[in-house]
Amino acid sequence: MATTATTHKTKWWSGGKSPFNIEYGKVMMWYFLMSDAFTFGAFLISYGTIRFSQNFWPDPNHVFNAFPFAGHANLPLAFVSVMTFILIISSVTMVLAVHAGHKGDKAGVRKWLLWTILGGLMFLGCQAWEWWHMITAEHATLVDGQIQLLGQTTKVNPWGAAADPALIGDALKNTDADILAKLAYQVDHSVPVSQLVTQSKESLIATISQHDLKVGTPGPVAFGGFFYGITGFHGFHVFSGVIINIVMLIMTQKNVFERRGHYLMIEKAGLYWHFVDLVWVFVFLAFYLI
Amino acid sequence: MSHAAHIEHSAVGFDSHHDGDHGHHHKETFLTKYVFSQDHKMIAKQFLITGIIWAFIGGLFSVLFRLQLGFPDQSFPILETFFGQWAEGGKIKPDFYYALVTMHGTVLVFFVLTAGLSGTFANLLIPLQVGARDMASPLMNMLSYWFFFAASIVMLASLFIQTGPASGGWTAYPPLSALGQASIGSKAGMDMWIIGMALFIVSQLLAGLNYISTILNMRTKGMAMTRLPLTVWALFFTAVLGVLSFPVLLSGAVLLIFDRTLGTSFYLSDIFIAGEALPNEGGSAILYQHLFWFLGHPEVYIILLPAMGMVSEILSINSRKPIFGYMAMLGSMFAICILAFLVWAHHMFVTGLNPFLGSVFVLLTLLIAVPSAIKVFNWLTTLWRGSIRFTPAMLFAIGFVSLFISGGLTGIFLGNSTIDIHLHDTMFVVAHFHIVMGVASMFGMFAGIYHWFPKMYGRYMNNTLAYVHFWVTIVGAYLIFWPIHYQGLAGMPRRYLDKSQWVNFSQFHELDAMITIVTIIVFAVQLMFIFNFFYSIFKGRKVTTLNPWKATTLEWTTPINPGHGNWDGEIPEVHRWAYDYSKDGRDFIPQTEPVSENESTH
Amino acid sequence: MSSHYDPTKAISSSAAYPEVVEHPHHEDDATFKKKVRKTTILLSVITVIELAIGLILYAMGHGANHLVVLMFKGAVCILTLAKAYYIVSIFMHLGDEIRNFIMTIIVPLLLFIWFIAAFLIDGNSYKNLRNDFDPYFKQTTTPVIHEVKKEPTTPEPGKQ
Repeated sequence: MATTATTHKTKWWSGGKSPFNIEYGKVMMWYFLMSDAFTFGAFLISYGTIRFSQNFWPDPNHVFNAFPFAGHANLPLAFVSVMTFILIISSVTMVLAVHAGHKGDKAGVRKWLLWTILGGLMFLGCQAWEWWHMITAEHATLVDGQIQLLGQTTKVNPWGAAADPALIGDALKNTDADILAKLAYQVDHSVPVSQLVTQSKESLIATISQHDLKVGTPGPVAFGGFFYGITGFHGFHVFSGVIINIVMLIMTQKNVFERRGHYLMIEKAGLYWHFVDLVWVFVFLAFYLI
Repeated sequence: MSHAAHIEHSAVGFDSHHDGDHGHHHKETFLTKYVFSQDHKMIAKQFLITGIIWAFIGGLFSVLFRLQLGFPDQSFPILETFFGQWAEGGKIKPDFYYALVTMHGTVLVFFVLTAGLSGTFANLLIPLQVGARDMASPLMNMLSYWFFFAASIVMLASLFIQTGPASGGWTAYPPLSALGQASIGSKAGMDMWIIGMALFIVSQLLAGLNYISTILNMRTKGMAMTRLPLTVWALFFTAVLGVLSFPVLLSGAVLLIFDRTLGTSFYLSDIFIAGEALPNEGGSAILYQHLFWFLGHPEVYIILLPAMGMVSEILSINSRKPIFGYMAMLGSMFAICILAFLVWAHHMFVTGLNPFLGSVFVLLTLLIAVPSAIKVFNWLTTLWRGSIRFTPAMLFAIGFVSLFISGGLTGIFLGNSTIDIHLHDTMFVVAHFHIVMGVASMFGMFAGIYHWFPKMYGRYMNNTLAYVHFWVTIVGAYLIFWPIHYQGLAGMPRRYLDKSQWVNFSQFHELDAMITIVTIIVFAVQLMFIFNFFYSIFKGRKVTTLNPWKATTLEWTTPINPGHGNWDGEIPEVHRWAYDYSKDGRDFIPQTEPVSENESTH
Repeated sequence: MSSHYDPTKAISSSAAYPEVVEHPHHEDDATFKKKVRKTTILLSVITVIELAIGLILYAMGHGANHLVVLMFKGAVCILTLAKAYYIVSIFMHLGDEIRNFIMTIIVPLLLFIWFIAAFLIDGNSYKNLRNDFDPYFKQTTTPVIHEVKKEPTTPEPGKQ
């Protein structure tokens, strides 16, 4: 095995020093991240396994097409691109913080850490909005011969195949008036829901039928579980990364690293933060792109 | 300027600190010395004693369910005295039986042979044999034990709740483990099982990261990787296996928790309970098995490798011969380590696994025979024409080799998917893995305890009791598990409570009774070992020389009762590999001795 | 001389010698900033390309050729790996470590090849088995393409 690998005439493996010229804390951090890569890898591979075992899987372009304050505009992948850029930029600011640390530049470390924390919080905010939107959204779904308004939860998935248009007419008749009112509002925003509920079922159905109502069927339940499970686990990592960075900021402010003589701790926090970004690259791939 | 300069600076500061505090001892309270100790040697003892307690509990479980298997018609009123409603009328109830089997597996595999074995010896031996004052991070090392302790408390508590502990098998397959209404053991006991395992995984990760970075970074001057004793190499590969495979189990367990509590459908689909259809659909129970065995198979080697490493060391020392094929040993351990990750689905040949995929797994599985055989031949060749000292540790090490051969051969049967269709879930599997993984690793552990007890406590264990322990255990192990192979070949299923309904198994009634009786005897002898262990801690014969086994490795250059920091004064430098026995007319040459000019090369 | 060990020391208190022996030299400010800027732009461009491919797939709708879709998806995977390479190599400075260390990170990650392949093959095989032997599963989960198509923006099942 690699025993006499020599670089610059240094016998790296001969003992009495680190074979990698790296202090143990950083070695540990790297190997921890590798084991964490297996945790995330297992999640994403499980997602792939279930997806491959299904005849149908929702199209991400239809699932992720909303944007805050954009109403019902169809903007596939727009919001998640914003999230991705936030994370990339926060990774860049973390690189700069680590670099400032190498130079012993306290003010620089403080400034770039602050930006990184801000980026992390923004990402978490975006994720919170996306979750909230997906859970509370109301998608017309054909279930048991009637139309239901479903959001994406861990137990129901409204992203199945499009419903057979021939069945929708009967389904509308079986549907409650208040749901019909919401459906009518979805296809035509000119009349508010509060007025629509006073209308008769027949006139509501007539309004709906004039327009193009998108009705789906329930899709694979596992989709929601994996989406919330994996993005949640990633979000938890972002959250803990933010906490770590805040601790680093406080320690910098209190001159802990100054007294210690080095900012190596920031470097380890940085590794963790980049890893969070790295994982997101793959989550982005698995859920949003393919 | 650069951080390297700062590190050197602080290291220099560390040295000058020593000069200043010449002869000064840290004030140690009972709490910091024995409970929240950061000394790797004390943490090793904590792991060992916790492991012994678990081994007693897990072993007792096996005695209880063997009573049921050996004497299905009889009742034992004493069981009702102790276990009340779980053994009404002195007969073990089915729920109790499944709980016993499940917890026997969980406890022995994870709490004894993972934490108890590698936790003990990695902690004790890595810093001592690589020449470090402690683990890379003593704090994380301490936390690792306390996470294990917390896991132990949760698992122990699950034994005492009203609905009993988890009882869906130690592998916790869904749907039995995912649905609380599926069985009584799937309720709170299962939740506690998952929580306990999650804590356990955290403990293993903390420990594994520490072991790896200690072995890589903390070796003393001259201790090249190829001069490391095989124990350290084995523990290194063990840690690598743990760090890469336990996270996958964690993922599997997290998804299982979601299925249990949030109504997700990762593992569940098309299920009826009591005639009622569940809403879950689209999940795959096979997915859990894949995730579980991605850990589960490396886990087998997490258990075996430390035993292999210690056995290599002990065989060499007590044959007074260098280990045969050091580099081959390393290579085969490395090969085992890689193959361990590639073969997991051979546990799943009959789940509906794609048969083509299965055949690839057969090929990879059978490849493991190559490095295993290399190791066996190297051990045998190490013994060959050696001046063997039959110390208790040596006997157990030889016993390990014997068991590893016997159990390994049946692995070739099971690794073939075609034969596995007949043998899967029969007692043959039980016999195979108990011999090759369970008993063999226990033998490795016993060998390690007998061998390094003098280093741990500065005393010897009682030899007479140790010899009795060895002979009864090895004869007992074969008497118990050899016949079980025949039961399995005859098609007798495992995990069944009562097989008396089958006429074709009636020939095995007396055999089962014999096995149970032997189990009880072997268990009693283990109690004697536990007595020997604790008695010797306080009353054993004192060690009077630094190097009682005349071994070459660094741990025997420390004081008889080393303090925190291991060596008084400088850490010795290393000049040679760990296996210079019977060389140039000398009995042994310690690793610390410089190579002289006219020394022969090996 | 007795040297007593102080576990509270932060760095390499367990080792007999300082762990880091050679001073890693960091590049000067200008080169570093240039490298970071270049990497940032690169990551952004790759992400934009990925998004473009995602939108092309969307625009092609679901009647598209399977092979073309597969090719685009493969391209996205490769681009993602390229992104991962730049993050790990530049941002996490793995590229600046010595080769031995890089190998200890890369080699274990190779396990993912078989990890992914075996899991996905078996997932796919599970689907095929059920389609063969469980007509109810096949009937209820295979998407039916309905004839009436009003507008191209009507949500249609993505293929997978």
